[in-house]
Amino acid sequence: MSSLSVSNAHLTNELAVSIRGVGLTYTTSIDKKPTLKARAKSLGRGKKQTRVVRALDDINLDIQYGHVLGVIGTNGAGKSSLMRCVAGILPPSQGRIEVYGSVSTLLALGVGFNPSMSGRDNVFLGGLAAGMSREEIAGNFDEIAEFSELGDAIDAPMRTYSSGMYARLAFSVAATVKPDILIIDEALSTGDARFKEKSLNRIKELRTEDRALILVSHALATIEDICNEVIWLDKGKMMARGNPAEVIAAYREYMHVRKSASSDEDV
Amino acid sequence: MSTPLQVYEPFKAGLPKLGRYWKSLWSRRTFIKEYSKSELREQHFDSVFGQLWLVINPLLLSAVYFILIIIIGGATDSARYAHLTASLFLFYLVANSLTGGVKSVTAGQRLILNTAFPRIMLPISALVIAIFKFLPTLVVFLVIKAIVGSPFTIEMLWAIPVLLITIFLALGLAITISCINVYFRDIASFLPYLTRTLLYLSPILYAASDLKPSLRAIKVVNPLFPILDSWSQAMVQGEAPQLSSMLQGLAWATGIFFIGTYFFLSREREFAVRL
Repeated sequence: MSSLSVSNAHLTNELAVSIRGVGLTYTTSIDKKPTLKARAKSLGRGKKQTRVVRALDDINLDIQYGHVLGVIGTNGAGKSSLMRCVAGILPPSQGRIEVYGSVSTLLALGVGFNPSMSGRDNVFLGGLAAGMSREEIAGNFDEIAEFSELGDAIDAPMRTYSSGMYARLAFSVAATVKPDILIIDEALSTGDARFKEKSLNRIKELRTEDRALILVSHALATIEDICNEVIWLDKGKMMARGNPAEVIAAYREYMHVRKSASSDEDV
Repeated sequence: MSTPLQVYEPFKAGLPKLGRYWKSLWSRRTFIKEYSKSELREQHFDSVFGQLWLVINPLLLSAVYFILIIIIGGATDSARYAHLTASLFLFYLVANSLTGGVKSVTAGQRLILNTAFPRIMLPISALVIAIFKFLPTLVVFLVIKAIVGSPFTIEMLWAIPVLLITIFLALGLAITISCINVYFRDIASFLPYLTRTLLYLSPILYAASDLKPSLRAIKVVNPLFPILDSWSQAMVQGEAPQLSSMLQGLAWATGIFFIGTYFFLSREREFAVRL
């Protein structure tokens, strides 16, 4: 787990992430919450009631620097699981992932893990947990606060935030901290039209030669606009990979959705 | 082509590479500091009245238990009160790391699901918070000790190793219980009963020497017993505690720490799925 600050110059087309035969399975319990009481009750009733979820199945993928990869698929297709594997949060069950650079996870969503603390505290704690130094975060903080347009609310407890405010702060953190490999997972879907526009522009700015960007979104138009490669996941399997227009067309056909306003609306 | 910075492969049950883990943990030590600070600030312990509460709360507690001792045990003296406060305050250091530790991992769910970091930072932070809450009570105790005229001796310095052993034990307990709570969420509800039982099994409301011979088994099964006994000897009576008690306490602390940490480290990569 290296610090995000280790940012070396990377050449375009240099390998950023290599994913080889990655599979991810996990067992979830049918019970809502695992408790001692539930375990005691189910004693002597044979096996524990569990369900095996195959979240990812034999994924092979290379991501190069200077590229923007879009990830699309239905809910539960394994998009977030794949991102968590790349970020080192979930260890894969099979295969191997090599990462050549510092990854900002959806640092974004890690922000606000403690709703009773202020936005400022949460940004600092999220950054520190991700391995940044206090000074680095302090150096970026003004920009984060300004970009998020939260004003004085940055010092209010995060439980008082609306979902739009949450998302704005989350995106601001992800977009201000400049890692080698940036993963943005649906962090863009809330917020008003103006902020969406602003975040879209920021993503375009972040599309530089020495950074790899992975964008997970249901906003197909945005993906088509920004990415130069798209993968389509369905039930943990990679259905297609390649040119954005083609993959998205295939996905649309599969989903029986026409190019409608509803699928393009969100950034 | 450079070598990869990180490689993620299927993990086999067992420990991660400890050297790397430690490095990664050490580089994030500021998180532990800042987290404890924000947590205390959020509980208003940075304000005058918040600090005052940290002192008033244990004082009121010790007053309540003192009344209990008088009613149940009959007449009592000021030395008894000093023993009660000293032991009770140290006990709350352990109890607070347990109550803070139990939900430390489950409460950090958002962070765990979205950031890769050594998860053990969360129970460690809970311990640090408990230590910060303990420090003012230590000052209160010294004032009480001066008021009741209990002797200040050089042997009181034995309290320092005893305190270190207690912190070590509290750390092991926090790590263990935070890990258990991931798998059995209702442990948090059992915890008040557990700490209450531990309180009565410990030489706090009574002196260790007053224990009936038939109840000596308590000494053996309660990890806190030898520590609290040594603490009272050093802090209240100003005598060197028995080395055997201290070693017994250290053995408990080491055992709990290593077993708890082993479970935590070998399972923490699975936490993201369990939460």
